[in-house]
Amino acid sequence: MKETKPGRDGGVVLPLAGMALGATLAAGLLLGATAARAEDVTLQFWDNQQTESGLSQYQKEAVKRFEAENPGIKVDVTTVPYPEYQQRLLTAVQGGNAPDVSTVDQIWQAAFAEAGAIVPLGDRAKSAGMTESQFFKGAWDSANYKGQLWGIPFNVDVWFFAYTNDALFHAAGVDPASVTTWEGLSAAAPKLTDAAKGKYAIGLFAHKGEDTVVVMDSFIYSNGGSVLDANGKCALDQKPAVDALRYMASLKPYAPRGINNAASGDMRELFLNGSLAMELWPALEQPTLQKTHLDWDFVTGFAPQGKTPVGTYGGWNLVIYKQSKHQDAAWKFIHFLTRPDVNGDVVDLIPANVEAAKTFLQQHRKHPEAIMRHLDNARARPLSPRYLEVSDIEVKLAQDVFSGQDPQAAAKTACAAIDQLASP
Amino acid sequence: MRRGPARRIAVLLGQIALAVVILLPFFWMLSVSLKPATEPFAIPARLWPVHPTLANYASAFRPEFRRYFLNSIVVSAATLAITLTLGLLAAYSFTRLQMRILNVFLVAVLAAQLFPSSAIIIPIYRMVKAAGLLNTYAALIIAYITVTLPVAIWMLRGFLANLPRTLEEAAAIDGAGPLRAFFAVVVPLCRPGIVATGVFVLIVTWQEFLFALSFTSTREMRTLPVGMNDYIGQYGIRYGELMASSVMVSVPVILVFFFLQRQFVAGLTAGSVKG
Amino acid sequence: MTLAGAATTPIRAPRLRRAWRARGRMTAGDRRLALAFAAPAIILVGVLMYYPMIGTFIESLYSVSFINPHPRFVGFANYARILADPVFAEIVRNSLIWTIGVVALQNGFGFAVALLLNHNLPGQGLMRSLVLLPWVLPGVVAAILWRFMYDPQLGLLNSFLISLGLTQTGIAWLANTATALPAAILAAVWKGFPFSTVVYLAGLQSVDREQIEAATIDGAGPWRRLTAVVLPSMRAVIATNLLITTILTFNYFDMIWVLTRGGPEDATHIFPTRIYELGFGQFRFGEAAVYGVFSILVLAGFVAAFLVVQRRQGETG
Repeated sequence: MKETKPGRDGGVVLPLAGMALGATLAAGLLLGATAARAEDVTLQFWDNQQTESGLSQYQKEAVKRFEAENPGIKVDVTTVPYPEYQQRLLTAVQGGNAPDVSTVDQIWQAAFAEAGAIVPLGDRAKSAGMTESQFFKGAWDSANYKGQLWGIPFNVDVWFFAYTNDALFHAAGVDPASVTTWEGLSAAAPKLTDAAKGKYAIGLFAHKGEDTVVVMDSFIYSNGGSVLDANGKCALDQKPAVDALRYMASLKPYAPRGINNAASGDMRELFLNGSLAMELWPALEQPTLQKTHLDWDFVTGFAPQGKTPVGTYGGWNLVIYKQSKHQDAAWKFIHFLTRPDVNGDVVDLIPANVEAAKTFLQQHRKHPEAIMRHLDNARARPLSPRYLEVSDIEVKLAQDVFSGQDPQAAAKTACAAIDQLASP
Repeated sequence: MRRGPARRIAVLLGQIALAVVILLPFFWMLSVSLKPATEPFAIPARLWPVHPTLANYASAFRPEFRRYFLNSIVVSAATLAITLTLGLLAAYSFTRLQMRILNVFLVAVLAAQLFPSSAIIIPIYRMVKAAGLLNTYAALIIAYITVTLPVAIWMLRGFLANLPRTLEEAAAIDGAGPLRAFFAVVVPLCRPGIVATGVFVLIVTWQEFLFALSFTSTREMRTLPVGMNDYIGQYGIRYGELMASSVMVSVPVILVFFFLQRQFVAGLTAGSVKG
Repeated sequence: MTLAGAATTPIRAPRLRRAWRARGRMTAGDRRLALAFAAPAIILVGVLMYYPMIGTFIESLYSVSFINPHPRFVGFANYARILADPVFAEIVRNSLIWTIGVVALQNGFGFAVALLLNHNLPGQGLMRSLVLLPWVLPGVVAAILWRFMYDPQLGLLNSFLISLGLTQTGIAWLANTATALPAAILAAVWKGFPFSTVVYLAGLQSVDREQIEAATIDGAGPWRRLTAVVLPSMRAVIATNLLITTILTFNYFDMIWVLTRGGPEDATHIFPTRIYELGFGQFRFGEAAVYGVFSILVLAGFVAAFLVVQRRQGETG
């Protein structure tokens, strides 16, 4: 029988713990104390990390160029993965630890402005010779709030392009170009769908995410509808919007199952493995498709016969934070990044500067003219400081519609909620 | 205790069946980690890729990953050491001292566990910033001690409460003060419980995400769970590398536990020798 | 002194206790020392958890949000508004189902696995370590894994069911409001049961061997041994673990957030996900704070009910 002699301490654990403690404290002191090196100015720049590309390498090169042109300013780039970007920015701002410059999603811009977290850039832009005409309208509009310019458009994209797997289309005897009309799409969808074989026509998705909203908005815009009308009242329960929702719901049988928890990324996986005839993505998707062996092409969205498809604007703007102690240097950096000769190199969405965009699209994307047209034609979301709440309501609308609710009733509920936001 | 061989075989078979069922997701994870990025997912799901490759592992084992790993180890080990020590001491006070005020504190300490992290993270962030500890190991260690200590105390208390007081009293007869009696006699007997608590603390801190995310800004200070986000983009996930990374993260912890789990069965082996 | 030896000393205990008290059970110095032991825990928790939480509570009484940095005092108006919101009832309901489901299954299954692993057979070390894998996996990764496994087209679960002929096409587990929460519960049980197994395995070690042998000699079968000897002697461990898993599960954020973000149509929305969504997703701090306070109240009610039941059982048992 084993006996534990009194006097021995708690076995193996406590001495191990003691050693671990000592070792880690030592290591922590050595490694944890990252002392800030004293330079003239070091800018903290945060950017969204796009995992699709090896963008950070271009960013590093751009930073080197900037530092060469601006001796005395160093830039510390932190790329933040998208899932945590919003949270990190918010925590940093609320905690008094904001960076000097960062990109912000268009949909957060107004909230940051209203909260007083960022500084207006109108005067600086004017003296730098930046004008509205140099940028895509939707991007410029998103950077304006209450008559002032709060950010400089950095990159843009448009939802959506309907990427087609032409091999599947030919096998089904359907002309890919025919699906650009609602009528054509409705006719083609059944031919492209064979659920028993796991083949679907179109990748619809409605999870809780912004991609759900931009796709739904595009359907609505393409039918001449709006989210908010000219007076700022909800227009989702008006005929054009409701008809668009009804049409969207009619496509459900031709989409993979599980729409209400599907994300655009899920649809991409299905497109890549040949199960999906069409996926709905912005221009950003092209590099991914270029790496595959798929016979792919795209149409610029869907609209009823006689109307032009209208996409939804998306993108990022550059802002300077009020807490920044180096606002002049920060401005120089923004000016640099948005220069036509630089903009194209530091983004993997499309440059917001129209000149740079043209070059970028010519170099990197298929059908650049079609993309430009879709961009020029696109409409912005109803951006406001409370847009995120509107977005949440719109997701609920999409989910209600896809789970079989009558679109008119669902839209009425959504409008009630949205209009209530305007009068708190 | 000897049992018939038939029973032993039955138990073994049961264990194997259990392992297969539980580990099925892991086979999947392994399979995805070996799938080249150019090979799309198959329908129906394929448990083994057509052209398995180690490319994902190579890519996932980048310098940042090694740094994240180091950070996680440092923070977890420090938290483990301090929480176990403080927890044992506190559990001792709470179980052996009959003071009403301590009971109140005991409940209050556990009640803190009820607070949702998202609700208190920003005030804690401000405090950490005010203390100049943002983006340091110290911030994370302190935060992790705070969130694991209540549960550790309660777990240890549960294990300690299982042991009769007579042991300490017997030791007291031998002339030891109650404190010495506690550490000399009771704690060794409580080894399985202490190891269990240690495992809990280790794993909770190994996986913790919210505080690690909030308190670290530079890449150098991020821990592994936060580092996983590198593979999650706005619209897509790099499954291959994410799974490879996860395999590399899980295996060391399993190895550590493999060496520790012998501590659980101290009672088992004693009993069998006696039989 | 072994456990077995200790079990035979109760008769002498009263005399011991008197002797103990005669010594003055704890000197004042010992008592101070012991209080000092409890102090660090109390201080840390007080500063890093109570202080912020009180701040959050105060914040919930003001109409504060990111875009409105000049808050006015509104008292409990925010609370009233949120109580009236239909989403709130949904969240309370989901949180209760989620917590009870996960805790019951984790503890039940965890205990069964602990029993299965409590043998002195070859390869036990390996077995016990492997069983720990789900718990060791980073939370976000486990959730992504399960989301993928539940995928209606690409997922392992549906492929399995189809190959068994149980269904023609994949079931959209996470997109269907009826199956989303149960699916999430299953994933969470898989993820967390090893913790209970570890705790119960440790607890099983302190079960008195002699009592089990005595019961066997009396002719008790395995089930009777379990219910008459093992479970009662592990009561403290079981109660503590139930409490801890309840609290941890109620506040468990990662799994549901990654699986469904609380959808579809709020079918899996629980307090932690709602708080995060409001605070970080939509910048609505004030409301997040209110949900935070509600979260504590609901959970506290839960815990209180549990403690009451446990005390009553302790009195009768």
